[in-house]
Amino acid sequence: METLDVRDLTFTYPLCNAPAVSNVSFKVEKGTFNVLCGATGSGKSTLLRLLKREIAPLGEKNGQVFFCGTDIDSLDDRKAAASIGFVMQQPEQQIVTDKVWHELAFGLENLGIASAEISRRTAEVASFFGIGPWYEKETSELSGGQKQLLSLASVLAMQPELLILDEPTAQLDPIAASEFISALKKLNSELGLTIILAEHRLEEVVPICDRLLVMEKGSLIADGQPRQVIAGLASKPEILCGMPAASRLFTQLGGKGECPLTIREGREFLEKTISGQIQRLNRAETLVAGDKALEFNSVFFRYSKSSPDVLCGLDFSVNTGEIFCILGGNGSGKTTSLAAAAGLIKPYAGTIKVFGKKLKEYKNRSLYRNCLAMLPQDVQTVFLKNTLREELSDVSCDPKSLPYDITHLLDKHPYDLSGGEQQLAAMAKVLAAHPKLLLLDEPTKGLDPASKSKIIEVIKRLKENGVTVCIVTHDVEFAASCADRCAMFFAGRIVSIAPPNSFFSANTFYTTAISRMTRGIFQNAVTIDDALELCQRNGGCS
Amino acid sequence: MRSFSDYHPIVIAVWFFSVTGVAMFCNHPPLMAIALCGGVLFFGVRNGLSHGRTHLYFGLLFTVLALANPLISHNGKTVLFVLDHNPITLEAVLYGLNSAAMIVGVLYFFRSFSQIMTSEKLLCITGALSPKLSLVLSMALRSVPMFGKQSRKIADSQKAMGLFSEDNIIDDIRGRMRIFSILITWALENGIVTADSMAARGYGTGRRTQMRRASFFAADWLFLGLTLGLVGLCSAAVGAGRLKFEFYPQLRAASPGFLGIAGIFAYAVLVMLPLINETGVKLKWKRLMSEI
Repeated sequence: METLDVRDLTFTYPLCNAPAVSNVSFKVEKGTFNVLCGATGSGKSTLLRLLKREIAPLGEKNGQVFFCGTDIDSLDDRKAAASIGFVMQQPEQQIVTDKVWHELAFGLENLGIASAEISRRTAEVASFFGIGPWYEKETSELSGGQKQLLSLASVLAMQPELLILDEPTAQLDPIAASEFISALKKLNSELGLTIILAEHRLEEVVPICDRLLVMEKGSLIADGQPRQVIAGLASKPEILCGMPAASRLFTQLGGKGECPLTIREGREFLEKTISGQIQRLNRAETLVAGDKALEFNSVFFRYSKSSPDVLCGLDFSVNTGEIFCILGGNGSGKTTSLAAAAGLIKPYAGTIKVFGKKLKEYKNRSLYRNCLAMLPQDVQTVFLKNTLREELSDVSCDPKSLPYDITHLLDKHPYDLSGGEQQLAAMAKVLAAHPKLLLLDEPTKGLDPASKSKIIEVIKRLKENGVTVCIVTHDVEFAASCADRCAMFFAGRIVSIAPPNSFFSANTFYTTAISRMTRGIFQNAVTIDDALELCQRNGGCS
Repeated sequence: MRSFSDYHPIVIAVWFFSVTGVAMFCNHPPLMAIALCGGVLFFGVRNGLSHGRTHLYFGLLFTVLALANPLISHNGKTVLFVLDHNPITLEAVLYGLNSAAMIVGVLYFFRSFSQIMTSEKLLCITGALSPKLSLVLSMALRSVPMFGKQSRKIADSQKAMGLFSEDNIIDDIRGRMRIFSILITWALENGIVTADSMAARGYGTGRRTQMRRASFFAADWLFLGLTLGLVGLCSAAVGAGRLKFEFYPQLRAASPGFLGIAGIFAYAVLVMLPLINETGVKLKWKRLMSEI
């Protein structure tokens, strides 16, 4: 019997004309790994929430959902809560208690399980996930990745038969995200747990899933094995652009046979099909050689007297009019360096100059007037008002003067916007101060591929208008497609700076999927466009 | 043998409330002296020479309290001298010293109590009373630092966007007000996600249980028994009126008799109980180390 059977599910939110989910039917076999993808607003979250009775949205619902043969509306309360596990996107907010062990025990306590049994199950689940070393910690001390792992573990302590996850890695950095995905893979392959996962980051997920479901505007437009589904998406570039690099290249070249999913399969495909001799693109990398917009001169910083240096001898400069991307691992000090540039923290040694003037010389907060502005990682912290319109009029910003259109969002509450919309709205507010130097911290965090390309477009437009942009990011694909220069941050300083094409083709590990896949075949293919162009010059797909 | 702070939270709480309870409901000078000395000693042994500021504050408080009584109260028969037409009496001076000893002694005990009673131990005790109360406390303990963090984050991002355009106090206050108002919205918005996460994990489906992590060992029973026995003896002495002491109009102590002396002795042992335990632990470790 299948674990889940959804029949003709249609759902309409109150006061909405169009249904958020319309006529969706699918079955989930026991022990399978299912991935649900689709653009923001395509109804993924609504669909997933409809499968979990306790948090199902209010509205008009038609159709039925059967869990192991029983209609979920007629399940026993405790059985429904325990056997369908649900993990949400927000790492911080979905944690309830103050201690890690208490969080693990929380669900079991709710079910009224005896203390000895709770101890056994939390111990078991903590050992499975390697939570032992931080079992006694405060939940607020954990990193984002640990928080999500804790949420997953505390759901699994209840021994669910079906696990539903709604974009669990959206707020995580790539390393933490891939750790989380491998935990899911382990659960599926070692415990036979049935999983439904909604995701934007498909590079790692698609190769390990059994089934790929694609949603668009509330309906399920594809449902099947990932290779077949992707091969059928050639006509839908906006969905295809989130798929693994190998499969994108394959589909765009119109390849025949089995669609490659992993880097390895992609290489095999390229080696088989590419016969020409051209290995190199002549990319003229023109450097923007203006005055220095931002200069760091051997800057040292630490958070307290006894803690280690976070910035240790940081030395770099950003030229006026360029897009400068700082990449690097977690905790390497990237965000701290932006905070230092924005004058939020004071280094104990070294100087920082903005447009040739030392930070100290910007008296009476003149630094923030028509000069420098920073957009933080958590864009929610930018908003102070109840609607976007108030928000913008508060900083006397005319939405029509922006390089992009957000007029349709003006009457919404800023917190109700999607991640991509929030990013654009926050940027509008920041641009109102007419900065000449814009500092962005992880602008693509948690965004779907479509919103990402929108952000890239906006940043490039800003550059044309003469704004210097300095970006801190984890997202190598993003940096490769928009930066003028990229810098690698490691252990409190910058270890290499180069234009993206040479930067990424020189890196072996820390580089784009395309670059890893074409290594040895092409010399400097970094983005998918590079790879496509090289393939076509070599005679295309034979 | 375990250290005092590793005993079961209920044992620790019972000891603290016995010691401070006797001190607060009785005014027998020897008991107060024991409470003050015990409080200082206990805090000192736990913290060594650090916390100089605490000692300074408490010393100041002691002086102020001891001086205030004779200046305000002029009861008592034995006049020591007259200050600005007000008689200063021996009884009032002694009463002031006695109550200052009590208050400062109890404050010292509470300082140690707050060091020992971590949130986890507190939750264990409240959980024994009501699992729901314990959950509310746990959530509160989590949200307070979370709010602080978020408000700092909002303030920083507003600053870097030029919200505080002028460098003056009025502009700063206005900015803070706006941050406070959005913080409330943020808290409510957050609350929805947390509530969903709770509902998804079966909150409200019936009676809750509580995971008990601390367990009662033989030593816990022993310590609890000793505490209750000693405090019982002491209360018996107080209840029988053997530890009655009057300051006004002139000093008068009831004759303590055997029970009274036993009560005072019991209180002294009670106050010293953790220190005796700690000394035992240290000696045992020393022996164990020397055997390695």
